[in-house]
Amino acid sequence: MRLPAGVRDWLPHELARKRDVEHVIRAVFGRWAYEEVQTPTFERFDVLEKGLGSDLVEQAYRFSDRRATALALRPEMTTPIARLVSTRMREAPLPLRLSYVTPVYRYYDQPQEGRLRELTQGGVELIGSAGIDADAETLFMALETLDEIGLRDALFDVNDASVVDGILTGVGLSADTAVVAKRFMKERNIVALRSLEPKLVDYAMTRGGTEVLAFARRVCRTPASTAALDRLEVLLERAARLGYGGRVQVDFALLRDLEYYTGFIFEGYVPEVGFSLCGGGRYDGLLPRFGFDVPAVGWTAGVERLLIALERRGKHVVRRRHRIDVLVSGSDVVAARERAAGNVVRFTSGDFDEAALVADARAHHIPRVVIATNGSVRELRVTPALDDRLPVQTLGAKWDAK
Amino acid sequence: MMPDKLVIAMPKGVLYADAAARLRGAGIEVPTDPGRRLTLTTADGRAELLLLRPTDVPAYVEFGAADCGIVGKDVLWETDRSVSELADLGFGYCRLVVAARRIDRYHEGAPFPTFLRVATKFARSAEAYFAERDLPVELIPLHGSVELSPVVGLADAIVDLVATGKTLREHDMVIVDEIAESTARFVVNPVRFRAKYTAIVDLLTRLDAQTAAL
Repeated sequence: MRLPAGVRDWLPHELARKRDVEHVIRAVFGRWAYEEVQTPTFERFDVLEKGLGSDLVEQAYRFSDRRATALALRPEMTTPIARLVSTRMREAPLPLRLSYVTPVYRYYDQPQEGRLRELTQGGVELIGSAGIDADAETLFMALETLDEIGLRDALFDVNDASVVDGILTGVGLSADTAVVAKRFMKERNIVALRSLEPKLVDYAMTRGGTEVLAFARRVCRTPASTAALDRLEVLLERAARLGYGGRVQVDFALLRDLEYYTGFIFEGYVPEVGFSLCGGGRYDGLLPRFGFDVPAVGWTAGVERLLIALERRGKHVVRRRHRIDVLVSGSDVVAARERAAGNVVRFTSGDFDEAALVADARAHHIPRVVIATNGSVRELRVTPALDDRLPVQTLGAKWDAK
Repeated sequence: MMPDKLVIAMPKGVLYADAAARLRGAGIEVPTDPGRRLTLTTADGRAELLLLRPTDVPAYVEFGAADCGIVGKDVLWETDRSVSELADLGFGYCRLVVAARRIDRYHEGAPFPTFLRVATKFARSAEAYFAERDLPVELIPLHGSVELSPVVGLADAIVDLVATGKTLREHDMVIVDEIAESTARFVVNPVRFRAKYTAIVDLLTRLDAQTAAL
């Protein structure tokens, strides 16, 4: 009766917490005017392969149908949305703001906490907008989302792929060596950088605010990289004006999937958790691979990772005192009236005495009991326990056994 | 302001003494002998040490159970964990080599058998080495006394770490090829590098100063 490695069940109290987080994420996406879309869980592999970096191609679960069509479970949502937009929404007025909160599938060799093979991602794609306003929008949305979830001290690091290219060119690396250097920067492998090009070590180790940008200006000469430095500078100012000053830092070694990101990049994390909670950036090269020449920027958060961060702090998004509002016994009409009033109703037949009903209500943290017998209706108040965990064995199961 | 307290993954065994000495040189009061404890807080309260099997250090650092750690490069090859390698500490030098019995003369250019049986504790590195050379091999993963396997006919060759070469000589074995050189590395969790930036950079600077002075 075992599960495969890397997947998990969600019991009611666990799923309730996960849904709470997803609810907050959807609410923030909605307030920024993003509309949710859904794509199939699996797609043709050749289509997904167009948009995925080599890491994700390798991690994709691949299989074939009875006609031997190569398929894959989606390992992320950006590529399916790029496919969706370039085939079904080409005529839609730009920019498009699309969001998703959905499971994705990755074959990790060593599945572990924060690295499940079925994981939930909540993210957005802002398509058709090239400017700094779009970059800023994704970053500030991510900050706002983590704030709302209760991680108000989450830190964000920002970078720009063009700045890294500018640094590599500026220290005099050839194009071939730059490819290797970029990988070492991404891993922050200082030992390897030191033997490849010692001048890069300081850039891979530096992290901070505007002073760090000034440091990069000394070596960046390409127009693309100086423009990117200007944009990061504006971004830091705008973040500071929103009150995010100390929480957004520049880190030139912050590089995500190298085949994907063409400009702005960011990641968010909290000190207690050793992996990032969310991240994103600009991938202007993606939609053109699907024959639709428009820029795009987006970000995504790992819902399970957010839950781990909250759990480490002993926090939940919403600490509800109870999930069921009323226990109704003996009358369909009374139960229907309670549901119509917007209450969550647990219904039982009229066979149980008051003591058993009150005990049931208490066990399930239900604050109110309504008992209907022979045309009369009595209402009782029950003081529920504060703990919002549901008991593992329910009273209902015992009754059924009787 | 007190710098952040660091959780440091320490390798038990041969690397421990040197690793502890470097940390002491960096101003953290690490004991010369941790005894049988699994964790300990240093006397100055600046760090918490996790005393681990060397092969477990990368996993603890990757998942952030430790902020940083000291581990041999050989272990990093084998475990393939995402940790940032900030410094080569220079000690714990050894080589990963292909070795075989002297009488088989592979070291003098005698051809390998068509399907080579290779015993090793370093399956990942061995696989990569032979794959790169297009040599079909049967890997026999072992956990210790690898040098025994060719002597008793379990394997044609071994891939193993060699420090002085004494063990090989005792079994009348010779090095056929050198795969790579390994030394101890200071590694850090990519997120903790940012979250505890000042403390990590401070420790790194003090470690680098000692390596440079050697």
